[in-house]
Amino acid sequence: MRPLAVRVRGLTKEYGAHRALDGIDLSVPEGAVYGFLGPNGAGKTTTLRILSGLSRPSRGEAQVLGVSVAGGDDAGERLPAAALREVGYLPDVPGFYPWMTAREFLRFSGRLFGIARQELDSRVDALLDLSGLSGVRGRIGGFSRGMRQRLGIAQALVNAPRLLMLDEPTSALDPMGRRDVLDMIGSLRGHTTVLFSTHILTDVERVCDTVGILDSGRVVAEGPLSSLTMPRGVHRFVLEVSDGADRIESALRERSWLAGISRQGNSLSLTADDGTAPQREVPAIVSELGLPLVRFETLETSLEEVFLGLVEGGGGGR
Amino acid sequence: MRGFTAFLGKELLETVRTWRIWVLPGLVLLFAVTGPPLARVTPAIIDAVGASTPGLVIEMPDPTWKDAYAQWVKNLSQIVTFAIVIIYGGLVSGEIRSGTGVLVLTKPLSRTAFVLAKITSAATLLVTVTILGAVLTLALTYSTFGEAPATVLAVVTGYWLAGAMVLLAVMTLLSTLIRSGAGAAGAGFGVLVAAAALSAFPRVAATTPVGLMLAPSAALAGRPFDAAGPLLSGMLLAVGCVAAAALAFARKEI
Repeated sequence: MRPLAVRVRGLTKEYGAHRALDGIDLSVPEGAVYGFLGPNGAGKTTTLRILSGLSRPSRGEAQVLGVSVAGGDDAGERLPAAALREVGYLPDVPGFYPWMTAREFLRFSGRLFGIARQELDSRVDALLDLSGLSGVRGRIGGFSRGMRQRLGIAQALVNAPRLLMLDEPTSALDPMGRRDVLDMIGSLRGHTTVLFSTHILTDVERVCDTVGILDSGRVVAEGPLSSLTMPRGVHRFVLEVSDGADRIESALRERSWLAGISRQGNSLSLTADDGTAPQREVPAIVSELGLPLVRFETLETSLEEVFLGLVEGGGGGR
Repeated sequence: MRGFTAFLGKELLETVRTWRIWVLPGLVLLFAVTGPPLARVTPAIIDAVGASTPGLVIEMPDPTWKDAYAQWVKNLSQIVTFAIVIIYGGLVSGEIRSGTGVLVLTKPLSRTAFVLAKITSAATLLVTVTILGAVLTLALTYSTFGEAPATVLAVVTGYWLAGAMVLLAVMTLLSTLIRSGAGAAGAGFGVLVAAAALSAFPRVAATTPVGLMLAPSAALAGRPFDAAGPLLSGMLLAVGCVAAAALAFARKEI
């Protein structure tokens, strides 16, 4: 089992009578690109604010790179300096100094980490290239939202962090800006652990390998993306022949594993209790009946179906 | 104090590159430039008003360097003092509201260093422009009146500056405790009004920082005034306010 970059147990945050986080558990493996999914108001930002040391939990434990976020060595600081040096953070609405240039901001960020001048110069050049801002000479006050977001990711990488936490990095971007930011995140795979909050499912499907789903302050699912979208209990198939669909339907209805069937023209949708029996038997039936097969495939559960099933259905299923 | 030097460098650069370089320096230097000539022509203007009104006789003494210094002290004590309250109402909270505070405070910059760099930068600007303004006032007073005692100007300006530093420390604390810059400025005005009221009591004025509000005009008029008590208590109050601001900021959720 991989070591954990972030480990959260029973984390609770209350604002007066409102409980923003209700005893959540999270495990972010080192090296993962972890999609922290949830509808607006689910508690994603609150979690990231606690992990980054901006806010205190009401109860529970949270460890970042093995260091407790509640165990600072400086009064009032939640994340000790040693851990802060290895973490990069981008808030949901990053604020920049509009009078600085991108290069100046990255240099300033690097100086806060105490990075030596020569090393900082080369890192700044590399990050400006990575973020597509190397040719931009103007001040940040004139940047587009997409440029700011790319600069935000670049500043979070200036210390070459072991853990990068990004809060909704693509939420307000146009399709091209989103693509650029997702490409940047994807390019970090294998170099750093990325914890990336979002409510955009396609972004998670595109770049994440591990997913946690948060709803109303509770984690309703967590695990590798492939295991979350793997069929469980009910398996779905689609079968299409060019002729004789009624004969196949009759033959299939005699099978014990069949849970449901519907026909539309020469296309049949099947649900089964068993995932392997239909794969073994359906092609044989088609062959026995001598019918021309057009298509037979297993339908995967999409992340959207999983997400909506958990969030709208109360989340008790997984 | 991690990150203090880097953050102070940012603060000083910000001072030079933004509106900060225009407002306070502009105000102080404007008063320095206009004070002595105004002191010179004010009696003539009043004489002219008297001459144009039948039956009204106004006798004004000839203006001297003291009038130029009085003008300087009056402008500092009233307008520049109010400007400090307004400008620094958002000294700490401004970065939290704009979101820049979140980016820097999630790096290894200690919150104490954040607060200290803020007040150090503000104090550097205030001291620099006050000294520049005093030098300008000295030179223009000499050229206008042929006499300008440097020690007197240094003492009266020094007393005002000491009071302004205490006010800056108070504003640092208020801008840490109150999220709105306007709210902190309002509270700062409240502090000034309370201090002015308390300065009417001689015993309070002799032993607390409110005495610094009376010290410049007393020194200029040559009235005996022991400033040791107000200076010492003012220094203690300033240190206390900055320490309280650092402590409060360290515990604050951002």
